[in-house]
Amino acid sequence: MSDDRSGPGQKALAWAALTLVLALVLIPYAYVIVTAFKPAEEAYDATWLPQRVSFDAWVEVFEVNRFHRYLWNSLVAGAGSAALAILISVPGAYIFARKQFRFREPLFYMIVGTLIFPFILLIVPITIAWIRIGLFDTFVGLWLAFQIFAVPYSMWILRGYFAGMPRNIEEAAMVYGCTQFQAFYRVILPLAKPVIVSVLFLAFLQGWSDFLFSNMLTTGDGPRTASVAIYASTAGGERVDWQVLMVMTLLTGIPPVLLYILSQKHLAKTFAPA
Amino acid sequence: MHGTASGIEVRNLRKTFGGGAVVACDDVNLDIGANELLVLLGPSGCGKTTTLRCIAGLENPDNDNAIWVRGRNITRLAPRDRNLAFVFQDTALFPNLTVRRNISFGLDMRGKLSRAEIDGRVTEAARLLKIEALLDRHPRQLSGGQGQRAGLGRAIVMEPDAFLLDEPLAALDAALRVEMRTEIKLIQRKLATTMIFVTHDQEEALSIGDKIAVMKDGRVQQVDTPHDIYRRPANLFVATFIGSPPINRFRCELREEGGDLRLASPTFALPVPAELVRRLGVAGRELILGLRPEFVEIGRDGGGIEGVVRLTELLGSRTLVLVDAGGTEIRVLVQGEPGVREGEKVRLVLQLARGFYFDLDGRSLLGEARA
Repeated sequence: MSDDRSGPGQKALAWAALTLVLALVLIPYAYVIVTAFKPAEEAYDATWLPQRVSFDAWVEVFEVNRFHRYLWNSLVAGAGSAALAILISVPGAYIFARKQFRFREPLFYMIVGTLIFPFILLIVPITIAWIRIGLFDTFVGLWLAFQIFAVPYSMWILRGYFAGMPRNIEEAAMVYGCTQFQAFYRVILPLAKPVIVSVLFLAFLQGWSDFLFSNMLTTGDGPRTASVAIYASTAGGERVDWQVLMVMTLLTGIPPVLLYILSQKHLAKTFAPA
Repeated sequence: MHGTASGIEVRNLRKTFGGGAVVACDDVNLDIGANELLVLLGPSGCGKTTTLRCIAGLENPDNDNAIWVRGRNITRLAPRDRNLAFVFQDTALFPNLTVRRNISFGLDMRGKLSRAEIDGRVTEAARLLKIEALLDRHPRQLSGGQGQRAGLGRAIVMEPDAFLLDEPLAALDAALRVEMRTEIKLIQRKLATTMIFVTHDQEEALSIGDKIAVMKDGRVQQVDTPHDIYRRPANLFVATFIGSPPINRFRCELREEGGDLRLASPTFALPVPAELVRRLGVAGRELILGLRPEFVEIGRDGGGIEGVVRLTELLGSRTLVLVDAGGTEIRVLVQGEPGVREGEKVRLVLQLARGFYFDLDGRSLLGEARA
């Protein structure tokens, strides 16, 4: 901003605007945190500071709702889905980036084009199919269902990266002792680490926070995920304990933030150029 | 019998792309002797890099018996099974590995040598290339010249049957390019190894090659020593492509005048040197004269062709003088000071005995007889 030529008036205006936006973003988060530490009787008081700091809601979430079980389910659902997406889309994207074959482009855009399809229309047929073939209420069923969107966007991101990678690095690997497969996993994969981490992050996030599929494809006895458990705890919105709801919201929201911080370096490498 | 002791032989190599639509190499034949440095030279798109990539196994030739090394047909072998090392124009070092790991990559993959032996070879190669201090750096921390040295190191430690270099110096600046080409030739001599060096730079080719193969449109035009390529071009293309500043070309006709055979063009009509009379043919024939600028002299007195100096360019120890002779531009190369000014009238003497003569299809009329 060393060459900023705006006058003090403009500067003040800019600061005011930024402060307003920041407040709009941060105040709801702050209120979530405050509410999570309010006792039940204060939950509806529109106050910033509780009369008494209470951990009742936290105890209830773990002891009554057994929320850790659903967090674990979300973790397994998200991590499994991310792993499966990588296993499918890394080789797929590599082939679409490197090999010449008939109808390559139309086929690729057919895969990516499924992202445009309103996937909510798929929920009912998939639920019926999953019940018939025994995938209903299982992790495998969830993982497979999540691939409907995880694979297309993973392929999209990875293919762009592989295509942009200089071909002669693989050729060098092949001249100096690698088979094409070895060239791929010894040279290309390590170089693609930032993108793979980014794709893992996105696929995990999508699996972790999915509601529609998890809600239809699981039951309370099966691998019900945290986001569905939050909804169920309110009896479908009939009975809302705000302090309990806020604790669950916090617990569900924090892991993606931590993951983001951990993988931020790689995410920046992948998405900054775009 | 194909292939010499440890040389490389390319036999009728044909390589097309796009289902035969683009012919990159058309009946390429090369015979590279053991410990010989062959330069593949030609303009971009002439097929020189494709030929090299076919030898390395990075492209698959159309025909089955195209590439022979040490008398063995390797046309369909995987690149890694050929024992040939490749040096890329943009180095193609592995960005995630240190220079040391890049250089040892091939030996690591081969897995036949002990760690100590590998380290020994890496150190030795690094010393030869003067990059010992850079071994623990990553490729992005290297300059262009250093990167190319590391690329050479990766090839040297393999002790391959031959080195294949694809325009290794094209990305370097002029001074470094000259320095590196000398160094590459010294290394090739020291290691006593076969080397194929691809370039589009004729000066580089003349300076580095034991032999030069000039290519155009997927075909080899001429294979010869640099000296013979320069002095006895097989056709008009070779004559034009080699040499800087470029050769003068005149379209002429042979004419009989008073019992003498004369070479006539719109700007001159000169008697054909006695030793050429028999070779050039009979009166009425049309031909193209190619004359290097160093074989045109600025005459001191009468005689010769009249012209006006348009421009002089200092090229270091020599000067290029551009003369307009009745609408035809003639390049003259003089040692040292030109002794003429722009706009000055001069007389030019063409040393026709030193000229190259081609038919209208560009084939040399002097042929092998001149050698």
